[in-house]
Amino acid sequence: MTVPLDPDITPPGTGRFRDAGGLPADRWRAIRGEETLVPTHCCFCGVQCGMYLRVHDGKVFGVEPRDHDINRMRLCPKGLNAYQQVNHPDRLTAPLFRKSRADDLRPVSWEQALDVTAEQIQRIQAEHGRDAFGMLGGASLFTEKTYLVGKFARVALRTRHVDYNGRLCMVSAAGANKLSFGIDRAANPFADCLLTDCLLIAGSNVGECFPVMTQYLWGARDRGAKLIVVDPRETSIARTADIHVALRPGTDAAFFNAVLHVIVSEGLTDEAFLAEHTTGWDEVRAAAAEHPPERAAEICGVPEQQITQVARMFATAPKAMAWHARGIEHHTQGVENCLTVINLCVATGNLGKPGAGYGTITGQGNGQGGREHGQKSDMLPGGRSISDPVHRMQVANIWGVDVEDLPQAGTSMMEMVHQMSRGEIRGLFGLCNNPFVSLPNYAVVKAGYDALEFHAQCDFFLSETAANAHLVLPVTSWAEDDGVMANAEARVVRHRKAQEPLPGVRTDTWVLCELARRLGVGDKFDFAGSEQVFEELRIASRGTVNDYYGITYARLDETGGIAWPCPDLDHPGTPRLFEGGRTYHADGKVHLQAVRWHPPADPYDDTYPMTLTTGRTVAHFLSGNQTRRLGGLVEQTPRPWVEVHPSHGFSNGDAVTVVTRRGSATFPALVTEAIRPDTVFVPYHWPYPVAANELTIDALDPRSKIPEYKVCACRIEAATAVTAVPAPPMPPGRESYADAQRARVEQLPPTSSQGRGTSQP
Amino acid sequence: MRPVLVGVVTALVLCAAIYLGSRELHNFDSALAPYAIASVFLAFGIAYRYTAWISSPGARRLFKKGWGAALSWRNLRRAPTALPRMIATYLGFQKFLGARSRARWAAHQLIFWGCLLAAAITFPLTWGWFTFTANTGAGPQYTMNIWGLPVVEFNALSLLGWVLFHGLDIAAVLVIAGATYFLIRRMRDREASTGQRFGYDLVPLLALIIISVTGLLLTFSSVALHGGGYEFLAVLHMAAVVLTLLYLPFGKFFHIAQRPAAVGMQLFKYTEHGEIRHCRNCGEPIDTTAYVDNLRATMRDLKLDFDGLAEVCPRCKRLRRGQAYRSTVKPGF
Amino acid sequence: MMGRTIVIDPGRCIGCQACVSACRECDSHRGKSMIHLDYLDQGGSVASSPTVCMHCEDPVAPCAQVCPAEAILVTPDGVVHDADKSRCIGCGNCVNACPMGVPKIDLAAKLQFKCNLCYDRTSYGLAPMCATVCPTGSIFYGTLEELRTERPGVEVASTFDFDGSIISTGVAMVVPRGRPVDEPLPGGAGEHARVTGSPQPAGHLEPSADNVLGDPL
Repeated sequence: MTVPLDPDITPPGTGRFRDAGGLPADRWRAIRGEETLVPTHCCFCGVQCGMYLRVHDGKVFGVEPRDHDINRMRLCPKGLNAYQQVNHPDRLTAPLFRKSRADDLRPVSWEQALDVTAEQIQRIQAEHGRDAFGMLGGASLFTEKTYLVGKFARVALRTRHVDYNGRLCMVSAAGANKLSFGIDRAANPFADCLLTDCLLIAGSNVGECFPVMTQYLWGARDRGAKLIVVDPRETSIARTADIHVALRPGTDAAFFNAVLHVIVSEGLTDEAFLAEHTTGWDEVRAAAAEHPPERAAEICGVPEQQITQVARMFATAPKAMAWHARGIEHHTQGVENCLTVINLCVATGNLGKPGAGYGTITGQGNGQGGREHGQKSDMLPGGRSISDPVHRMQVANIWGVDVEDLPQAGTSMMEMVHQMSRGEIRGLFGLCNNPFVSLPNYAVVKAGYDALEFHAQCDFFLSETAANAHLVLPVTSWAEDDGVMANAEARVVRHRKAQEPLPGVRTDTWVLCELARRLGVGDKFDFAGSEQVFEELRIASRGTVNDYYGITYARLDETGGIAWPCPDLDHPGTPRLFEGGRTYHADGKVHLQAVRWHPPADPYDDTYPMTLTTGRTVAHFLSGNQTRRLGGLVEQTPRPWVEVHPSHGFSNGDAVTVVTRRGSATFPALVTEAIRPDTVFVPYHWPYPVAANELTIDALDPRSKIPEYKVCACRIEAATAVTAVPAPPMPPGRESYADAQRARVEQLPPTSSQGRGTSQP
Repeated sequence: MRPVLVGVVTALVLCAAIYLGSRELHNFDSALAPYAIASVFLAFGIAYRYTAWISSPGARRLFKKGWGAALSWRNLRRAPTALPRMIATYLGFQKFLGARSRARWAAHQLIFWGCLLAAAITFPLTWGWFTFTANTGAGPQYTMNIWGLPVVEFNALSLLGWVLFHGLDIAAVLVIAGATYFLIRRMRDREASTGQRFGYDLVPLLALIIISVTGLLLTFSSVALHGGGYEFLAVLHMAAVVLTLLYLPFGKFFHIAQRPAAVGMQLFKYTEHGEIRHCRNCGEPIDTTAYVDNLRATMRDLKLDFDGLAEVCPRCKRLRRGQAYRSTVKPGF
Repeated sequence: MMGRTIVIDPGRCIGCQACVSACRECDSHRGKSMIHLDYLDQGGSVASSPTVCMHCEDPVAPCAQVCPAEAILVTPDGVVHDADKSRCIGCGNCVNACPMGVPKIDLAAKLQFKCNLCYDRTSYGLAPMCATVCPTGSIFYGTLEELRTERPGVEVASTFDFDGSIISTGVAMVVPRGRPVDEPLPGGAGEHARVTGSPQPAGHLEPSADNVLGDPL
């Protein structure tokens, strides 16, 4: 008989602790009194929760909740684990270079790295023209850096080809806001939710993508508000909502038009508001009339009476609000979908009042601020248009350049990829983005990037995209530099530097300024740090709609953040827009736009009869380059899955291949009644060969150029084995921190869309 | 009443052992009498406390099962190495502490071996069980006797002699190092200081440090100060030791007497039946049948009449409670 | 229930597991997460529920009662602590005796771990980590009055029925208005043991042909 020396049996889940892989941030410390709490905000989503970073001995080692009025101490799992990125063993600490993609990346000095970049820029632009070198920014950068990206492209590179990954995120809402209101931001602060009587959430899985915003939804319901959720999946907020409209993906415009139709036909519109504050109502009413509920019910696959129910609940509420996110924006009809929601709010007079209004929930931390100051292909700082001669002149004067030298509008991110394939763009400088995971139709993206003669990428972990580059520049994480971001309410908040950059790491600002010096325009980029850039940004935005002039670091330090427009130093900021019904169009009116529903770009047929929709899960963020390395989040959600309805006959964990016209990928099934039988869902945070974006279609909205991530035709097939999730990329010779990857290696399927229960065997 | 009785009997047995072991007090050093008296009280205290402890249902059942398994001929025949291996890893090298923290394991080992060494030297000395006799007047050849019987002969100037005479100094150094680590941890570390109590958590460490430091100072006094302050230090040292011995059964040190239960638990869990009990709901293993039956009996002793739930795994308990809440209390928001 | 205590409302829970990550961050937990987050209705919905230690009051702390090593301390404020490190022998009695399924165990370290109400925080007047960060208020910490200020008219219950044995706890659960406050909550033993399906929450539409099925566009 053998008696085990130590006990070895314990009931399921009682012997594991979710210890986050031993915490790579620094070691565990709980030393009395020997820490500094640095007040800052989270680096992840557009809610921008306040948090304290715990710092000891010059190193970030923990997080402490902060009673900031955005989040009132609440944090989501991403925010709680964010600090672990700062001193993570996977961090890049030396520039990496190779002459051709056949070689391995090798560490080089910063001098060599910057010299090579400048040489390549000059060579490519000399041989193929200035526009042959492109630049791609990101909306997780501080606003100062997004401003620098735009200025660098226009002044240092003088290329028209600059864009950013917000193109994949909230440009549809931006377009709709500009068209209707002449200003691009949410109309109401989150706190207005607490004053409303009816909340409509369209295409937003708030509980997973903006968990901390849920408190405003629940707070509204505690005070008696009704909740309507429009989502093909029964998400955690839809689960208990008063009405959950489980419509077929890609049919939002039909649904909202039909709701408007009911409102009009039942006489629930606010005619006085419409007459006084809007233009274009007749056209809108006519378009709505083309979408009677019986037609929409058929298109959307929802009961006709549900449309009436939603219309009555929304229109009869004394104060109603609508918030939407990517679910209605990621469509070839993205701008129009947003317009139908705006039309609904305006037609019922729900605009510009406490508890009544409209908002878009930006996905990226600086999704709002990142689109305001000129890294968008068609925009200059202060939300100015690059095509407007007056705007061009203003900016040329601020920058001290000849207006003739300012390039014209460029193309969008996805279009730039096609231009790379065609050889129109031969060199690229990318920072703060990971298109190999985030852009649709991976095969096309890979081919485009592979065609580049020179590709430099900045990041603090080696992303899938950076791993394919010629040059990788290691830059700071958010906690190693100062800056501001604007959250989904357009509230500008201050991020503070909590520790010095790791040895060998530089700020993006330093990199761009050094490159500009090598390109001969150092005098235009003479910035010591973020605050100097912000001072120039303030002036550059002065007098525009996106007016930051009254915002300074000192004022942000004194307040919990200031919502723009803030035209002077005494101005309190503008948390709520359109009070008194006045918009930012010259005539002060809402320019209503008529919308007619059209089917999604990818046609259904017998081979591809079902719908694939994609989205996020709570434990991961965007392309996952950050979150797939944090042990706690990997333990929560180690891998992607495909969510299917039980009617297809699969059981949990079965290997299921999703096939679209662009590719196929195999995932474990998560069988649940919380999804429509005609729809499957795959989260998009993982790279090839388990990428949702191998499957998605690269069709774009004609106006916003947003890709149609949220709907494409597919079929599902039984497979023999699920595809393993690859390890996060690391430079040659280094391994990703193993303890944080344990759960990924185990390849366990999820038990719910939010992750694995803590006691799952 | 029973704990007092057991305590008195134990104390009397120790008195008899002292009397006999010191050859009817012939070898008893009257200067050490306070220590010997304190050790008698210690024996009473430990026996009293131990009896009180095992009168609670959980401990009583484990006491019977554990000692039963440890002293069972059947187990000894079938797994002769199990008990010694467990004693060595659980009680001697304390491998489980290494799984908690390497540093704490190292510090605890220093204290453990230091105390063990000190106890092995001092208790027999104060009881008059050890004596040293000089073979030739003033040395350097000595004989060490146990119970009056010569055991080993050694040269006081040799290494062995040095170690024998300075054993307590070595023990003091080990204990000071370990206890200081724990004391600093208790003062600085928020985990350790959460809910810490002065009498329970800090007094034992302070007592160990005071005993060791005064002990070392005694050596220092005799070596460097020609006995300066020796009398005072001796009283101080004695007071510290006596008080610590009296405190030992009633504070943190009692874990010394409790820890062997870990060996008993492991032995009885895996030797009684050798079968595994599975969750009635999901079929995942819970623990061995012997263990679950023992736990259920303990719960019944305590009038915790939901003992049947011990055969449902914790996850199923939570799921079932949550599902019942959803179906009968509040399904939604 | 205790004066300042945790109140749990599974109806508000979005299953995000912020509590699981937060638990790890507490100084007295040091990287080990002790809270449980279970998905109650796998295959049906995303319903979830967090489980912290309920700090049983009557009978007081069954885990402490069955402990053979006197390792679990109950302080006068009603908090049932995690095991005393010097005493715990890692037997697991508490793990399996707890009717709520709360304690965890590190077999190699022979040490039980369980929610200690973040005693390093609550003993200084701060809320526990899980309740501090919970994005939805599913885990709330405070007095009943404080809870009612935030959620007017809310009712709570803190007794559980385990097949006839009643346990009253220091931690409470939200119950719907109008439910008799002294009616114990189901413990999930006995007659409720076989409940596995998901009820239809308010406002949820019955699946029907035109709701969920239909020809593709």
